[in-house]
Amino acid sequence: MDKKNILIVDDDPAILRLLSTNLKARGYEIFTANNGEESLEAIQKDFIDLMILDLMMPKIDGVEVCRRVREWSDVPIIILSARGDENDKVKCLELGADDYLTKPFGIAELMARVKTAFRHRGDPTVTPAQATFSYEGLEINFAKRRVTVNSREVTLTPTEFALLQHLAVNSDKVLTHNMLLQSVWGNEYSSEKEYLRVFVGRLRRKLEPDPKNPKYIQTIPGVGYQISTSSPANVQ
Amino acid sequence: MKTKDNILVVDDDLDFLGVIRRILEKKGFKVTTVPSAEEALALLKENFFNAAILDISLPDIEGTELLSRMIELHPEIIAIMLTGHSSVKNAVQSLNRGAFSYLEKPLDPENLISIINRGLEKQQLVFENRKLISELERHNRTANTLLSVSQAVAQSLDLQKIIDAALEKVAECTGLEAIFIYLRDKDKLKFKGYHGLSTRTAANMPRELETASGVFSNLLEQSGPIIIKDLLRASESELSFLKNVGYRSFAGVPLTILGENIGVLGIATDFTQSLSPNNLELLTGIGREIAIAVRNAQLYEDASSARALRELDALRSEFLANVSHELRTPLSVIKGSANSLLQPDVIFDEQTRREFLVSIDRDADTLTRLVDDLLMLSRLEAKALEVKKKQHKISNVISNVKDHLDKLTIKHHLKISIPNDIPLVYIDEVRIGEVLTNLVENAVKFSDDNTNISIQAVYKNKEVIISVIDEGIGVPLELQKKIFERFFQGEGRKAGRRKGTGLGLAICRGIVEAHGGKIWVESKSDHGAKFIFSLPVN
Repeated sequence: MDKKNILIVDDDPAILRLLSTNLKARGYEIFTANNGEESLEAIQKDFIDLMILDLMMPKIDGVEVCRRVREWSDVPIIILSARGDENDKVKCLELGADDYLTKPFGIAELMARVKTAFRHRGDPTVTPAQATFSYEGLEINFAKRRVTVNSREVTLTPTEFALLQHLAVNSDKVLTHNMLLQSVWGNEYSSEKEYLRVFVGRLRRKLEPDPKNPKYIQTIPGVGYQISTSSPANVQ
Repeated sequence: MKTKDNILVVDDDLDFLGVIRRILEKKGFKVTTVPSAEEALALLKENFFNAAILDISLPDIEGTELLSRMIELHPEIIAIMLTGHSSVKNAVQSLNRGAFSYLEKPLDPENLISIINRGLEKQQLVFENRKLISELERHNRTANTLLSVSQAVAQSLDLQKIIDAALEKVAECTGLEAIFIYLRDKDKLKFKGYHGLSTRTAANMPRELETASGVFSNLLEQSGPIIIKDLLRASESELSFLKNVGYRSFAGVPLTILGENIGVLGIATDFTQSLSPNNLELLTGIGREIAIAVRNAQLYEDASSARALRELDALRSEFLANVSHELRTPLSVIKGSANSLLQPDVIFDEQTRREFLVSIDRDADTLTRLVDDLLMLSRLEAKALEVKKKQHKISNVISNVKDHLDKLTIKHHLKISIPNDIPLVYIDEVRIGEVLTNLVENAVKFSDDNTNISIQAVYKNKEVIISVIDEGIGVPLELQKKIFERFFQGEGRKAGRRKGTGLGLAICRGIVEAHGGKIWVESKSDHGAKFIFSLPVN
């Protein structure tokens, strides 16, 4: 199997060295960048499968890098931040980051998050039983990882696609917050409810004709979410 | 008739005087008769008469002459001239000189009374007009005073400025000599300003007045002024501070707004005084104007201190966020490196294990230094840094840290030039040594290997000016102030140079300012930087 390429962006050389050593030891190919500008160059030049991005950097900070990368790429992004503020976390996720880890962190935790990101990128071994899903203009081709709404193609990040796929495959079932977090992200994410809220929001903005009044992904208040192919009026 | 009108009759014919007295007294007038102009003038100087009846031919002075002098003394007197046939011409002349009318002898009593009554009626009108005009003028003055006080106090939202302006305006408009203001602060009255008191008296004014009882308690409870006409006879001991410096009377006016008395305007004079109701009314009005302005200023002060507190709070939160960020960075290296060694799934080689340990060791140092810097900064900001100042030669201060500087500049050329005639400086040598070390360390961080770093000193305007000059990347103009703020991190560190705590220059500034000096940078991008600080010689 091809080695996966990871770009690490941090202005602290000690952190860069720490992360490279650990990721290399686990079989990843590592590229590094010392600041935002370098990272934007590197991600265009090299084939990067995952980006680990420090938030606080001079000139172009992590938030800005994340925003710019998302304009044209759906590469998974894990934010590393020395700010533990919940607002920062939600802001980064809204902007398109896939995950958010607060410094200082454990190596095992980081490795688990890297694995989750790659899983979202599409592991061919977990192709769903059905090949496509179709409901009221929303078409999903699971094998090709392609989504259209009323024949208009929609670009989704790997995590967004993983969440949509899980909801579609289990359509008409109510999926609780915990079930979704564990299946789409992993066991260690069961308390990260805001991930779910942010990613459902991101999906709705991309898929729904009227995101405030969604017809595909329904909220079951206090419980979870579902894609209901019966009458949406049955669902509050 | 309210009071008997006073009539003076001057004629040298005594029988005639007797007749006319009877006629007039019968009509209710108070009559004085004299036979000569001289006697008449003597009376006129001392007394007021509503009307005078003058014979035009008198033995001593001409009646017309008497008329002139009389009108000079009492312009409003009603003068009636008595003439014989032959002197009608004179009578007409006397009308020109201000007489009200003339009558020919022999007199027709009816005619005389009617003329007197008409004259007195006219006089009454004059008096009433005059009273109205003076009332109008007084109202005008009151309105003008109030207006100018209210304008003066509305110029500012600064409490002290308002009080000073109000006092000055009150003095100017009322001519009162010694005035002062006390403002309520909980259950005390606090001295806030004065006008017309001697510096010594002002210095001896009580800073606080008790308001539990007595005059000041009453002034805070009631709506109108309190007047003490004569302090020498007054029993109020709380006013003795005025009596003791020679004042004779006191008037206190409450400063009232929305039914609440927020202070007292006090007036003292060195004669016994009784203020007229008009003046009291004016002072009460002034009290209200001052109260409005004072209350506005107090509200504004409260609002701005709340705003200042909010700003301080925001700064503190930002500082905490920054501290937390700066602490987490070395912590994450320490935690990550130790944690790497503990992972069961990978066994690192000897070399890598050592690298992790070196990282742990070095970032523990970084952490220590950060904590030290933070402590130093907080001491500087609380002005709690102990600065042990003594006379020192600046060259000795440099010698003390020379070893450390040499170590820092091992890849640079360090040049030190301190002229021998630099005077001693009064400093804490350890702290100034820290400033120098910090500046040299910065210079190293931002300049290439093998470039020059120099330390220079000059004596100028009673200050020793010390510069640390490098040939590095310089500091752009827009950052030349900002770099002295805490947690500011410059960009463009040369490869391999470790990031600092972002506190070094903030600490330098704190130390230099604690010595009464200044620190700044002169630089053009890419042409090196010159960090300069001044130390006062005395």
